[in-house]
Amino acid sequence: MAESGTKLRTILRSATLYLGLLALFVAGAALSPQFLTMDNQRDVLWQVSGNGILAIGMTLVILTAGIDLSVGSLLSLCSVVCAMLLMQRKWTHATMVAVPAFAAGCGALAAWLTWRLWPGQGGRIVRRAGITGIGLAAIALAAMWAASRVPHGFGVIGVLLLVPPVGLLLGLISGAIIAKGKLQPFIVTLAMMVSAVGLAKYIAGQGGRVHPIYTGDITTEAVAPESFKLLASNITVFGKDLIPVPGLFFAGSALLAALLLSQLRIGRYIYAVGGNEETARLSGINTDRIKMLVYSISGVLCAVAAVLYCAQYEQGKADAGFTRELDAIAAVVIGGTSLMGGRGGVGGTIVGVFIFGYLGNILNLRGVSTEFQSILKGFIIVLAVLLQEGILARWIGDTVRRLRRATA
Amino acid sequence: MATETHNRPVIADAGPPLLRMCDVRKAFGNVEVLHGVTLDVRPGEIHALVGENGAGKSTLMKILAGVYTDWTGLMEIGGQPARFHSPRDAEDGRVAIIHQELALVPYLSVAENMFLGREPLTRWHTVDHGRMRADARKLLTQLAPSIDVSRPVAEYPVSIQQLIEIGKALSRNARILILDEPTSALSDTEAGRLFDILRELKAQGAGLIYISHKMEEIYALADRITVLRDGEYVGCRPASELDRDELIHWMVGRQIEQLFPKHVSQPGRELLRVEHLSLTPAGAGRKLVDDVSLCVRAGEVVGIGGLMGSGASELLGSIFGQYGRRPTGTLHVDGKPFVPASPLHGIDAGIAFVTNDRKATGLVLSMSVLRNMTLASLKRAAPRGRLSGGFERTLAEPLSRELSLKAPSLHAPITSLSGGNQQKVILAKWLMTQPMLLLLDEPTRGIDVGAKADIYELMNRWTAAGLGILLITSELPELLAMSDRIVVMAHGRLTAELSRKEATQERVMAAAV
Repeated sequence: MAESGTKLRTILRSATLYLGLLALFVAGAALSPQFLTMDNQRDVLWQVSGNGILAIGMTLVILTAGIDLSVGSLLSLCSVVCAMLLMQRKWTHATMVAVPAFAAGCGALAAWLTWRLWPGQGGRIVRRAGITGIGLAAIALAAMWAASRVPHGFGVIGVLLLVPPVGLLLGLISGAIIAKGKLQPFIVTLAMMVSAVGLAKYIAGQGGRVHPIYTGDITTEAVAPESFKLLASNITVFGKDLIPVPGLFFAGSALLAALLLSQLRIGRYIYAVGGNEETARLSGINTDRIKMLVYSISGVLCAVAAVLYCAQYEQGKADAGFTRELDAIAAVVIGGTSLMGGRGGVGGTIVGVFIFGYLGNILNLRGVSTEFQSILKGFIIVLAVLLQEGILARWIGDTVRRLRRATA
Repeated sequence: MATETHNRPVIADAGPPLLRMCDVRKAFGNVEVLHGVTLDVRPGEIHALVGENGAGKSTLMKILAGVYTDWTGLMEIGGQPARFHSPRDAEDGRVAIIHQELALVPYLSVAENMFLGREPLTRWHTVDHGRMRADARKLLTQLAPSIDVSRPVAEYPVSIQQLIEIGKALSRNARILILDEPTSALSDTEAGRLFDILRELKAQGAGLIYISHKMEEIYALADRITVLRDGEYVGCRPASELDRDELIHWMVGRQIEQLFPKHVSQPGRELLRVEHLSLTPAGAGRKLVDDVSLCVRAGEVVGIGGLMGSGASELLGSIFGQYGRRPTGTLHVDGKPFVPASPLHGIDAGIAFVTNDRKATGLVLSMSVLRNMTLASLKRAAPRGRLSGGFERTLAEPLSRELSLKAPSLHAPITSLSGGNQQKVILAKWLMTQPMLLLLDEPTRGIDVGAKADIYELMNRWTAAGLGILLITSELPELLAMSDRIVVMAHGRLTAELSRKEATQERVMAAAV
């Protein structure tokens, strides 16, 4: 009996979230005739995709009872790196960061694949030597390939290969300090947030100048290849520009994260670490590795969002991701993932992202100023959490009961 | 002790009872959990409230303490009808509850804790620290005279903190004191001191409601016993007229033939050999485990006796890999040398470790029953990392049958289960790893008699199947009854090794202090 009660409550709670989104949708349709148009819906998807990708990584981190304050800064840093890789045809600070990160990433990937796929035979020493050898070979090959590409500049595929390892590396550093140093995620990622912005400005040069990728200084710099515009285009379905490419990236990362959480052992471990770290550790789970993994994933997703940012705004700059971590955290929290860890998931986060997106969109359509939008968003965050925790319902119930008692 | 109990004079019915609760009913939603419960407490009485987990004791006490307000029935305090709408109300009605988990603010001083929310003020409406300290000192003169009231509470052990809580209750002029399992974190000496204080309060005319699972305590302290079962009032009788067997019968509604159904089996090969194991944890100045050697053979239960802080829990943790490579000494598991570098190594070597704190280190409270059960076995059951198909159910169902687990469903949240069933989930989780050596640290702490009997029965079954068990328990009757051999630890060292025949409560205690 007690169980059906809690079950009903959980269903109601998750339903609150979807009902909230539905209510917002209906309100939008009522308030503005443009709201329901295909173009407007596509615009919303455009706008939410970047925050959505960051929020997916943030969800994984928060599920482990952590927090990643560095996502905005990593986005800034990666946007600068991405812009410079696209424009420059020579060794710069950007290539000096991205090429080694890419090589290291390839090496680690190759070593890991060998470790997973190598059948048991051959003995420990041979196996270790093999894994190390293959890893080193992959590093050398990747470094040679990337270095050979530097004089020609990088295109879409180039940046999609070279920028994510930068995010991965910085996320891994945060994660490793949190796990091995047993430090508070808040403090470690705060430090990373500060340092990454500094690094972004240093790489950008001249105190953090903006790198517009199509209108760069023509005399000294080339511009980004036209092919890069693909990332900022819509895919045409039935003769209409229907699906923005960033939306596909958002959907893809959400899908992968959802599969990770529900279908893989690692996903279960993420929940366990957030639910009770000591229990998880005593159950034989390598909790350090799980923590390093989630911050690394968050870092990679920051880099992906950064590449899309470059494509959409046609520039890279050291303050591109300023306060973006807060939007991501807000979306995750609205989506019902507990900041205490262990509860929540990607589904809620997607809804949270869209609630945020639709709200901004409706207010824009109604011509509400951005200042006022900000104020309202703060209210919405509190309201959403109150609704989900069932606190608002309790308040209302209590008030009704009190009024009834007073009248009786 | 028994004769003393029987000679206790039963207080005559004089004047109105301090507390009377009559036909109390309470429902959560549509589910009624208290079906007309009655309780009366007289001044100068220790009244034991007894029942299995889920019997409704806590619910009743929360009503009395003003936590639950939507109930029906009658409540009188000192003959006057009373109804509390908040915990604050209950305090004003001079009811105080001392919770199992203490409710003190660790970094505030003793005095600040005692007067939290009702600090004495100066003329300028600032806190009058001088008077607060003086008042606190006065209140604690009897309870804990040696205490410095300006020190933070966190500097004192749990036993002293409990006395501070009692002092806090007295500062609010409480006449009815509810003690919920107050000795669960105390050593026997500390508990003895607490009992003296409770008897003193009783002599001063307070009414004490004492909730406990420990029979010895109930019979040592209580004047009368009220028993609840499944939200029903079973009965109330003077302790001297209700013998132990009948009390258990009242509690579980069935006769438990034998509380400790121990089968002694023939020990087999050596499963665990520990030689000169020592542990100095990071930051600790002294060794918590000091040069301990012992062995466990297949099919036997080796019991470890000792007081709180004896180092027994740390010994088990060291064997399992909880402390990584920190412990020194040598271990052999099943004849092979073993270095417990991490819990995963312990699990792979066939060791299972049931810790003494279900909530903090045993369960993931945000997960379902099923997910808690499979947590330690996923690596083995899903080596490729995919959690597809129903393999978790397939693993869990036979075990939950074997352990006669009572859960609404395997997908129910773990928090919806009673303490005894939560403990069974932990046991199932470890059995699923197919261990040969079970390290059990207080496996029956805070669970009801029925579940205890189930767990003892299971231990017999496991030893019969050839498992070895290393058991820590602070309950001496349990230790003596369930162990084939007993070792006693004090201050990290082994102080005695006794065979089943040699062991008596006195000998174990003598070695433990």
